Amino acid sequence: MWWRSASFILDKNDSFLRDDSETRLLSPPPSSSMAQTLDPNLTISPYYQTRAAHHGVVTSDWLAQAHAAAGRDTATPSSEPEASLNSIGSDNSFSVIDEFNNWRKQPDLAEAVAAIRALASVIRSSQATTMMELQNELKTASDSLKSWDMTSISLTAGCDLFMRYVTRTSAVEYEDFDSAKSRFLERAENQALLLQARKIIAMLGQDFIFDGCTILVHGFSRVVLELLKTAAENRKHFRVLCTEGRPDRTGLRLSNELAKLDVPVKLLIDSAVAYSMDEIDMVFVGADGVVESGGIINMMGTYQISLVAKSMDKPVYVAAESYKFARLYPLNQKDMVPALRPIDFGVPIPSKVEVETSARDYTPPQYLTLLFTDLGVLTPSVVSDELIQLYL
Amino acid sequence: MLDTHALVHDFLNKLKRRKIEGSKGTAKLTAELLRTVISQQRIPNTNQAGALVDAIKAIGEQLVAANPVELAVGNVVRRVLHIIREEDLSLMTSAIGGPSLSVISDDENDVDRDDYPVLSAAAVAASARNALRAPSLQTLLEDMSHSAAVHHSSSSVDDSEEKTKSTDKNSRSRKLKHNVIETVNELIQDIAACHEQIAEQAVEHIHHNEIILTLGSSRTVIEFLCAAKEKKRSFRVFVAEGAPRYEGHILAKELIGRGLQTTVITDSAVFAMISRVNMVIVGAHAVMANGGVIAPVGLNMVALAAQRHAVPFVVLAGIHKLCPLYPHKPEVLLNELRAPSELLDFGEFSNCMDSSTGTGFPLLHVANPAFDYVPPKLVSLFITDNGGHNPSYMYRLIADYYSADDLVLQRKPAS
Repeated sequence: MWWRSASFILDKNDSFLRDDSETRLLSPPPSSSMAQTLDPNLTISPYYQTRAAHHGVVTSDWLAQAHAAAGRDTATPSSEPEASLNSIGSDNSFSVIDEFNNWRKQPDLAEAVAAIRALASVIRSSQATTMMELQNELKTASDSLKSWDMTSISLTAGCDLFMRYVTRTSAVEYEDFDSAKSRFLERAENQALLLQARKIIAMLGQDFIFDGCTILVHGFSRVVLELLKTAAENRKHFRVLCTEGRPDRTGLRLSNELAKLDVPVKLLIDSAVAYSMDEIDMVFVGADGVVESGGIINMMGTYQISLVAKSMDKPVYVAAESYKFARLYPLNQKDMVPALRPIDFGVPIPSKVEVETSARDYTPPQYLTLLFTDLGVLTPSVVSDELIQLYL
Repeated sequence: MLDTHALVHDFLNKLKRRKIEGSKGTAKLTAELLRTVISQQRIPNTNQAGALVDAIKAIGEQLVAANPVELAVGNVVRRVLHIIREEDLSLMTSAIGGPSLSVISDDENDVDRDDYPVLSAAAVAASARNALRAPSLQTLLEDMSHSAAVHHSSSSVDDSEEKTKSTDKNSRSRKLKHNVIETVNELIQDIAACHEQIAEQAVEHIHHNEIILTLGSSRTVIEFLCAAKEKKRSFRVFVAEGAPRYEGHILAKELIGRGLQTTVITDSAVFAMISRVNMVIVGAHAVMANGGVIAPVGLNMVALAAQRHAVPFVVLAGIHKLCPLYPHKPEVLLNELRAPSELLDFGEFSNCMDSSTGTGFPLLHVANPAFDYVPPKLVSLFITDNGGHNPSYMYRLIADYYSADDLVLQRKPAS
C-alpha cells in the first residue's frame, strides 16, 4: 500500500500544488439537480444526512448546509424547464427523487421500502400503455434514484428488487396491462413490507439476550431498537451501554428511546469502549450494508468496536434485513464509494488541518459472530450463498 | 389411532426417565415411531401434506419437551417434516405438469381461464422453491402472487376434470404417504449405517506412526480407529479416562482387544501430553448450526489445549446429530446435571450433609454437568456420513436436510 510508505511524501508535495477540494472530495455525480455540482461543499452523503435528520440531534453546521440545500431545491424548479428540454423523461425522474426524499424523511420507514414506494408513484403517474414502456420508465427512474445517492446500499437494493419483481412476474402471469399495473401498486404499498422483516429479526435476536446480560450498542439502528424492544417486552432483564456515536450523537437518541422502555442505559464516549468491554456480554450493531464476504458496512466506529470485542472474546451480533445484502467486496477500508459527513468540532479549525469525514467503515467477517436477518440466523460464511440465491 | 397413542406415550415416558442412552438409539426409535404414526394417520383429500405436517409437529413438540437436552429427537422430527414437504413438492410438480396438457386441448374450458395461462412446470417449481425457502423482502413481494396463482391453477385443474381428478386425488394421497414412508425408511437405514460410513473415511485421516488422543468412550470413535487398524495402519492411542464416569477405561479395554497400543491418562494430564499428539479424534452429542459442538464434559478443555499446540481437533458425528438451531446459552440450556453420587460417596460425606449456613443452605454443593460446549473456532474438521466438512459449512448441510419452517415446532395459534 503505497500511501503507507515513505514515498507518499513525494505525492503529498504534489497535491499541495493542486486544489485540495478537488482531489480529496469525490462527489457522487447527480444527474438531475445540476445546480448542486456548483457547490463543492455539498459532497456529503445524502443517506447519512437523512439518518442524522432522523436522529433529531443536528449540528449547527449541518443545519446551515441543509438550509442552503433546501433553498437550492426550491430554486431548481425554475431551472427545471431547461432540464426538461434536455431529457425526455426528466419530469418523472425529478419527481421520483422528490418523492423518494419525502418517503425517506419518515423516521420509521426503511430505505428500500421508501425506494419501492417512490417507484410505485412512478407507476401511478405513468401514462404507459404497454408493459415494455412501463418497464423502461421504471428503469429510468430507478437509474436516476441510484445515481442521485450512490452511497446508499439499501436504496440500490430496493430499486433492483422492485425492478426484478416487475420484469419477472409480468412475463409469466398477466395478459391484461391494467390489472398488472394495479397488482404492482398493491404489492408495493403493502403495509406488511414495513414491519415484517424487522419483526422477524427481533424475534430471532431476542433469544440471544439472557437475563442479567450487558449489551453494547453502537449507532442508532431501528432494527436493533426493535430487537431490544421485543426483548424488554418478553420481560428479559438486561442493561445497555450505548456509545455516544460522534458526530451524529446516535447514543443520545438511543438512550432516550431505551429510557422510555425502562431499560437501564449507560452512555459511553466512543473512546471508553475498550475500558468497559470487560463488563459487556455481547455487542449489537445494525448494518448499512452486508457485503459478499460476510462483513458489514456500518457507521464509523463499528470496526473499532469489533476489534476490541474480538480481542476480548465477546460476540458481535449484527441485525440486518435481507435487502441490505450487496454484491460488493471491499478489500480494505477505502475500497467503497466515499460517504462523507461534516463534523462540527464546536471551535473553528485552521484550514491547514485535514479532517477525516468518512461516515462509515467496513468490518471484515472474522470479527462478526452471527447475523440476524429475515432469512434466519446466519454465520458470516452463509452470506455469499444467500446472495447468490437472492440475485438468481 | 389408539395404538399410536399408546406407542407415543410409552416413548415419552422412556425419554422423560432417560431410559434410552445414546443419540443414535434415540434417533432410530424416534424415526420408527414417526413412521408408524404416518402410516396410521388418516389424512383428508385436500392439503394432505399440511395435515401430515400438523400431526407430526404435534407429536414432535411433546417428544422434544420430554427430553430437551437430547437434540437427536428434535433433529429426526425436523428431518421427517422436511421429507414430507419435499415429497409433496415433487408430487405437485409432476401432477401439474401432467393435467395441464389436457387443459390446453380442452378449448371450451380454456376460454374462461385465460387469466391463468398454463404455468410451465418450471415456473411452478420456482415458486414452490421459494415457498420452501425462508422469508425475505423478495419473497414477500413475489410469494403471495405466485402462490395465489399456483392455488388458482390447481383449483382450475380440479374444476375442469372433476371425475378423473377425484380418483387421481385418492391415488395422489396414497402416493404421498407411500413416498414419505419409503424415504423415512431410508432415513432409518442411514442412521443405522452411520458408523460404517464414517469409519470408511478413517484411512484418509490416520497415517502411519501417528498418535491419536481421545477422551471418554464413543462408539463412532471405536469403529473409526478399528477401521484404520484393519487397513494396516500402525498407530497409538492416548485415552483420557473421562471422569467421573471413567468411560475411557472401557474404551481402552476395547482397543486393546482389537490389537491397538493404548496409553491411559487422567483428564488433568491432557495439557501435558498434547504436544506429543498428532491428532485429537472425538465423538459428539450434537452439532449446532453455527458449527459448535455439544460434547461430553472435558472436551472443551481438550479443544483449547489442542488449539494451543496447533493439533487438529476432529469431531466425528452422524448427520442425525446435526441440529438446525443456534445455541444462545449452550452451557446452561443444553446441559444436564447428573447425580452427585458419581463424584462423591454418600457414606464418606454423610456428616457434611448436615452442616449448613445460618440461613439453612447446605455448605456442600456438587456440580456434575454432563456436557461441554466447544465453540466452532476450536474445531478443525467434522467427519460425517457424507464426508469431511469445515465448521462453517454446517449451514449447507442444514439447508439440505431441514426446512426453515420447521425450526419452531410449536404450532402457531390459528390467526
